Amino acid sequence: MPPPRWLVVSSLLLAVAGTAVSGYLTLDHYTTLAPLACPENATINCVKVTTSSYSTLHGVPVALLGLLYYLVMLVLCSPWMWRSQLPRLAQVRIAVATLGVAFVLYLIWAELFQINAICLWCTSVHLITIVMFAVLVVGQALTSGRAATVD
Amino acid sequence: MVRYWAGPSGLRRFDDGSTMGKAAAREHRQQRVEAIRAEQAREARRKVVLSVTAVSVVILVIVALIVVKIATGSNTTATSTPPGMASPAVVAGVTTVPAATSNAIAAGTVTSRPVPISAPALTADSKPRIVYVGAEYCPFCAGERWAMAVALSRFGTWSNLGVTTSSATDTYPNTASLSFHGATYASTYLSFTGYETTTNQPQGGSYAPLDTPSATDQALVNRYDATPFVPASSAGSIPFVDIGGKFIISGASYDVSILQGLSHEQIAAALKDPNSAVAKAIVGTANVITADICKVTGNVPSSVCTMPGVVAAGT
Repeated sequence: MPPPRWLVVSSLLLAVAGTAVSGYLTLDHYTTLAPLACPENATINCVKVTTSSYSTLHGVPVALLGLLYYLVMLVLCSPWMWRSQLPRLAQVRIAVATLGVAFVLYLIWAELFQINAICLWCTSVHLITIVMFAVLVVGQALTSGRAATVD
Repeated sequence: MVRYWAGPSGLRRFDDGSTMGKAAAREHRQQRVEAIRAEQAREARRKVVLSVTAVSVVILVIVALIVVKIATGSNTTATSTPPGMASPAVVAGVTTVPAATSNAIAAGTVTSRPVPISAPALTADSKPRIVYVGAEYCPFCAGERWAMAVALSRFGTWSNLGVTTSSATDTYPNTASLSFHGATYASTYLSFTGYETTTNQPQGGSYAPLDTPSATDQALVNRYDATPFVPASSAGSIPFVDIGGKFIISGASYDVSILQGLSHEQIAAALKDPNSAVAKAIVGTANVITADICKVTGNVPSSVCTMPGVVAAGT
């Protein structure tokens, strides 16, 4: 049973958006091209977040982890993979999305309680990750339910 | 002849040729199909409910985090700051100087810039290291700490910043300042060690001792807070700051008299006003120090090192 078109299109668009934003954050971390375009006040402060001790995990920049995550998602949510008959692919996709959401919850906790600042670019990646999780989980459930009732 | 029907639960036997037997078999098959469809529909509904529940749990966790943060934030405001610790308002003033203010000020009213030195790179954990040696009684240290705290907050996060005042009996008495004693600093780009060698409390003709620099760091002071790196007249002065083994600061970088009579909160609040003398001095010095720190970090992070105010202050 092929997945619904909305699921294929929305997951791919979200993966592309996530790759773009996390790519920008990774670029900012490693290069001197341009500062992050981000408003700055007592609550919102991108620099404070992206330069905090929580911006790396065991020495690996969180921005880079985000980029790698979205590159994996980009592959998993490509139309070819949606059409693929590989066993357990749906479970792998959900597992990766769940891992992403768990990490996002950790980062939100760090921003709110440890860094005391919010980074808008990071928040947009968090939002994309959560919507991606919702789309995949609900979409997968609807698809398998539909397949079951049609068989 | 005996006929068999292959049903979902296995082979079923029916009476041969009987009209009643065929009808019963058809009815039974129909019932089985309906039962299977009902079970599949239930399973599909269960999966949808489960997925919606999973998404709802994620959203609820985020909402709970935000609610706890708001509730905790209110409590923090209501609770008095522990003695010796910088209040949230002071910390916020120092760590969130608006970029627009920094850019408008550039070098501001800096009177003395860090001096480049030729020395082995000072590093820790593969990161450039900054060493500050000062004392809580020292009025020039009082001035420099504000700028150091602003500059370093751009590269990392302060915790447990203290507050103190300079000696009541020295030049510029009771100058309000931060204290690096007990403060911790975490950064991806830098390592920082701060020593406040004495308190501001007189003791036996001097001041009560506080932090003791490590032998290695004391050797840095002995070596570089001396001629030919600094003029003979200011050799041994504090504050002494070594920025990655590439720049040193010995003494105040601006006229600290501008802080006279101001409270910690007033100084912190003034940092966002590009027209205030306090911001021009402290943020200007912070920009100059930031520009030199960028030289030892290889101009990262770009968000800090390409700030127009920092770039202008560094030229």
